[in-house]
Amino acid sequence: MTYAFAALAFLMAGLATAQALRRAALWRLGAAAPVDWVSGLAKLPKRYLVDVHHVVARDAYASRMHAIVAGGLLAATVLTAFAILPPLAGSHLYWGVVALAFAITLAGSLLVGARRYPKTPKRLSKGRFQRLPILLLAYAAGGTVAALSIALAGPGNAVLPIALLVAAAGGLGLAYEVKGGPMRHAVAGALHLIAHPRQQRFEQDKPDAALVPLDLDAPKLGAELPADFTWNRLLGFDACIQCGRCETACPAFAAGQPLNPKRLIQDLVASLAPDGPAYAGSPYPNARDVAGEAGPLFKVIGPDAKIHPDTLWSCTTCRACVEECPMMIEHVDAIVSLRRHQTLELGAPPQKSFETLANLREADEPGGRPLSARGDFAAGIELPVISKRGAADVLLWLGDGAYDLRYGRTLRALLKLFHEAGVDFATLGEEERDTGDLARRLGDEATYQALARANIETLRKYRFNRIVTSDPHALHALRNEYRAFGDDFEVVHHTAFLLELIDGGKLAPGKLDAGTVTYHDPCYLGRYNGETEAPRKLLDRIGLSRVEMARHGRRSMCCGGGGGAPVADVPGDARIPDIRMAQAAETGASVVAVACPTCTAMLEGVTGRSAEVRDVAELVLMAVEASRADEPRRAAA
Amino acid sequence: MKLVVLLSVGRHPVSGKPALPRTEAQAIRIAAELGASIGLHVGPDAFPAEAALGHGLDRAVHLACAGGPDPIGPLVARIATEAPDVVLAGRRGQGGEETGLAPYAVAARLGVPIVPDAVAIRPAGDGLVEVDQALPKGALRRLVVRTPLVVTVHPNAPAPLPYAFGKARRGSIERVDAAAADLAAVAPAPEERPYRKRPKMMRAAGGSAADRLKAVTGEATAGGAKILDGPTPEDAAKEVLAFLRRVGVLAPAGAGATGPTA
Amino acid sequence: MTRPRRDPRAERAAARTAGAERPRYDLGAKASASRRPRRDPRTEAASQRVPGAARLRLDRSQFGVVPVLAAHAPERPAEKAPPKPVIVENPDFLVLVAPDMAGGRLGEHDRQLFGAARELAGKTGATFALVGAASPDLGPAGADRIAIAARDPDAYDPDGRAAEIVAAMRALDPRHVLFAESADGGDLARRVAVLTGEPLFADAEQVSASALGRPARCRKVEQRSAPTRLVTVAADCVASYAGAPREARLETVELSTDRTGAAGAIVSARLIPADPATVPLALADFVVSAGNGVTDLDLFARVVAALGATPGASRVLCDAGLMPRDRQVGASGTVLGATCYFALGIAGAPQHLQGVADCEHIVAVNTDLHAAMIARAGLGIIQDAQLVMPAILKELERERGDRP
Repeated sequence: MTYAFAALAFLMAGLATAQALRRAALWRLGAAAPVDWVSGLAKLPKRYLVDVHHVVARDAYASRMHAIVAGGLLAATVLTAFAILPPLAGSHLYWGVVALAFAITLAGSLLVGARRYPKTPKRLSKGRFQRLPILLLAYAAGGTVAALSIALAGPGNAVLPIALLVAAAGGLGLAYEVKGGPMRHAVAGALHLIAHPRQQRFEQDKPDAALVPLDLDAPKLGAELPADFTWNRLLGFDACIQCGRCETACPAFAAGQPLNPKRLIQDLVASLAPDGPAYAGSPYPNARDVAGEAGPLFKVIGPDAKIHPDTLWSCTTCRACVEECPMMIEHVDAIVSLRRHQTLELGAPPQKSFETLANLREADEPGGRPLSARGDFAAGIELPVISKRGAADVLLWLGDGAYDLRYGRTLRALLKLFHEAGVDFATLGEEERDTGDLARRLGDEATYQALARANIETLRKYRFNRIVTSDPHALHALRNEYRAFGDDFEVVHHTAFLLELIDGGKLAPGKLDAGTVTYHDPCYLGRYNGETEAPRKLLDRIGLSRVEMARHGRRSMCCGGGGGAPVADVPGDARIPDIRMAQAAETGASVVAVACPTCTAMLEGVTGRSAEVRDVAELVLMAVEASRADEPRRAAA
Repeated sequence: MKLVVLLSVGRHPVSGKPALPRTEAQAIRIAAELGASIGLHVGPDAFPAEAALGHGLDRAVHLACAGGPDPIGPLVARIATEAPDVVLAGRRGQGGEETGLAPYAVAARLGVPIVPDAVAIRPAGDGLVEVDQALPKGALRRLVVRTPLVVTVHPNAPAPLPYAFGKARRGSIERVDAAAADLAAVAPAPEERPYRKRPKMMRAAGGSAADRLKAVTGEATAGGAKILDGPTPEDAAKEVLAFLRRVGVLAPAGAGATGPTA
Repeated sequence: MTRPRRDPRAERAAARTAGAERPRYDLGAKASASRRPRRDPRTEAASQRVPGAARLRLDRSQFGVVPVLAAHAPERPAEKAPPKPVIVENPDFLVLVAPDMAGGRLGEHDRQLFGAARELAGKTGATFALVGAASPDLGPAGADRIAIAARDPDAYDPDGRAAEIVAAMRALDPRHVLFAESADGGDLARRVAVLTGEPLFADAEQVSASALGRPARCRKVEQRSAPTRLVTVAADCVASYAGAPREARLETVELSTDRTGAAGAIVSARLIPADPATVPLALADFVVSAGNGVTDLDLFARVVAALGATPGASRVLCDAGLMPRDRQVGASGTVLGATCYFALGIAGAPQHLQGVADCEHIVAVNTDLHAAMIARAGLGIIQDAQLVMPAILKELERERGDRP
């Protein structure tokens, strides 16, 4: 009878393997991708214990629950398998240890059950996931009783067969779930950690967020069918455990736009394997009607397919979902890949972006404005142009915000600070084109690459030590995404640069008495580049009392302005910046400090806001001017 | 239905970079939705043909020739062999002379009628098409015309489909040297000098010449803004209506209660 | 002290006009204490002003005449007795004018066309209008001669019209033929150009007897040329004729046309007028827009309909779903090309103002005196839009009632 128990462990392993292989046949439909299995496998424990745990631990209950139930399940099953060794099969101590392992699993199963019963939290999916605690409970309870009965009464006891039967039902059920059910996450998740498409994200401290350039000579541009994704991305979609952390982080979901990252990933899974269990999580808010056949070789996007285009274009590419995902799924990469096909192959970007993309292509600028007008905001403040000098210490990249009336104020403040600190700087003048960030996020990789190449060519003409920009989108493009085109610039955000000037004694700001301030992290600075400290230090240096919003730093919420979302303008129930400003209002701060032209425009566009929106540079200038006003007074005293 | 879209090299109005004229891109959208269409371009540069594919044509013909000759001859010769039902063209060029004469010249040489300023074209039975022609301020004239014909496209037509890199890559361009016999030199352009913006004349509601003069010199509005702080709603209403009549968007009290466009 | 001492207070008291609630002073009536007659250059200039000229013209020969009318100089004597029409009996040359005359009336663009024609005709030439129907406005607009075309003015037959112009050109041999660069006029001109094989100077923005100017290459250059035979005149660039009325003598011209070629290709033509309620915002001429200050949108809809305008809205209302997104005015909505914009309860966010930057006239009703919209408006009313809207409806109602 003890062998039957051990056999159950092997049977479970066998069934799980068979189910996983059936699933793997689907992954093999995807495009090829180079994977270093040996290195990946060697790094798996670190990736699991450090990188995954770092994310999972944000939810303490889930973290504890997972450690106990997963650890117990694995330990108990492996231990049971050793019962095929006759000396162990006869050892009471051994069976006592097995019983303990099952008991731990049982405790974990109860934690899993307690999370879902009596009431399941909104973000969790139901359906087959509701069965999971029952299967776990059956396996763990059956196993505990069986092992305990052997330990106490020997293998011949009468309880054992019944307990084994219960354990077998639970255990085989769990193994069966490896193909289509909740247990798939265990297998796919482990493989995903090994074969992850972004290996770099485990190797460096800062995020790995640069999009991979698209080969414009490829036979097909972007992803149209599930099979157009590389196989390890399909694997990644299958790793989803439907915990819903992404949907609580997603700004579009919060605003009632038809996007739910969890549902999107599940729709991609369902496109690949239409016969799987039905999705039972929260839907896309205000979901658009779609009707179409799904399958590995059916198109994914369209009103007549699985995912409506509005869903695709609601994304702000803020990466909040990626940041929150414990399974390390790369939602934004998938979205951009799908967008590339829509824009490049079908010519179907959002209606409102037609003009923008045409301008980017034909005028190197999204608004169709003359490049020579980019410096107009300076209005009297000296704005050196590098073509007249050939070299400068700092190249100031102005970005798209320079055309905006409101943002001109911020740039003027920055210029004044530069002059005050005696920075040797210059701009590209009318040679500065758009970085192409917007075109790229809208899927127009061709225009992006043309702009990137043109900009790199311009930048190579001049000598400078580094680029300073106030636009995190430009910063990300220049620093991280242009690297793929053969250039590596040192790019500094203006907040980091100003902090350097203050620390170096070039700027001497006084203390501002302007109430409390809360800092809104731009996604492309915080989440994309991991820079959250410099602006905060700046605010502290100028003596402002700082309060934090509940969501800040790398877990900050998007202003709604990224990824071409404002251009796509998919209607929802609320506007993302309104939600963000309400969060800022909760802190009671009188000033919302920003560090990005897009955030400035989005948050300033909120009507009836109680707090002022000020760029960090504007606040620093106020502090510098305040100290200058104090000087004569101090001298007199 | 068989269609030909005439293509030209345009310039982006701000950047001056080569761009397909917007109305031609709109013409492509109309054509592509109606049936088998080809693009036709005469000139040294294949750019418009390539752009046309990106905007939605499957096939374009580039009649290559050196310099900037009069394109009418080669266009007419090629259209005659294609024998399309409808020839579509932009309303004006963009970045060149911008006289808008070419489609008329083509129609005259082909001996077919021309309908200008179309915003929509629909088949209307045997050898007929229905053309919606844009009139000022959103009005339309709906014409039923016998094919073949030349139609120019108005800026109010549906926005052009965006340029798709993949479509441009997929489509085919047939490059043919234009027959020398068809080519003719263009008349020399008049003397040119940099454009100087002049103040636009203000529109006035009929009235006497003196009123119009006032409107032109800005006397009517130069007095600046009129601000009424807290008038009674009735006075406010009277002021508003008087103002609307003065600027000519509301018919005078005697002429009817609704605006002139109603 | 040779000069008598002035007492400003007494002078002011003497100049005070009686009866006004607030103190008002007629300082102009102040008797001069000095013996020298005082010159008033402004009234002198007013008396020297030549009535009716498009530009301000002064007749300096009138120097020294002490003006009788000081305060009412702009009063035009022409309105009292209609001036005799100017007659050009034997013109040296003719300028043929083909106005659009939509609906049989002279439009603003047509008047400007006659202004351009008179400019080209000068003193010795005569303008000759080929029109669909006579109109009493033609003489004052600047037509020396007119001829009535034979065709039905309401039928859409551009080829027929072009053939008639060509026939008239044959019969009259005009030095210039002028068309409006409008939808129909521009079309007609190009047809005539192709029929006659003559070059067309299209879209002329400057018209004088010596030279024409037109924009080209995306308005980067201006092409100049001595006046050619066929010219189209751009809208709102040339002043209308503002001199004394012309004769508008009716003449008959042989307009026999040999219709060949594509004649009769147009099977039917039907006019579909624009419905201001549904016309796309970008095309609308008069937009009435609602913002946060408008709570009763049914009332707003009735005001818009009564004014015959196109409805618009601020971003806030569209975001809230109270108005459809395609009605949103502003940088992220539609940028208007309207002549007049009437903002009800809109504060005027920068993005909104970008959307109305091209509007010639702006009326704003808002409760906040310091709203940006009020600052931008030609007529700003500090009042609750919710109260002004019913008042407008009532006022329009009253006017309708007053009409005989």
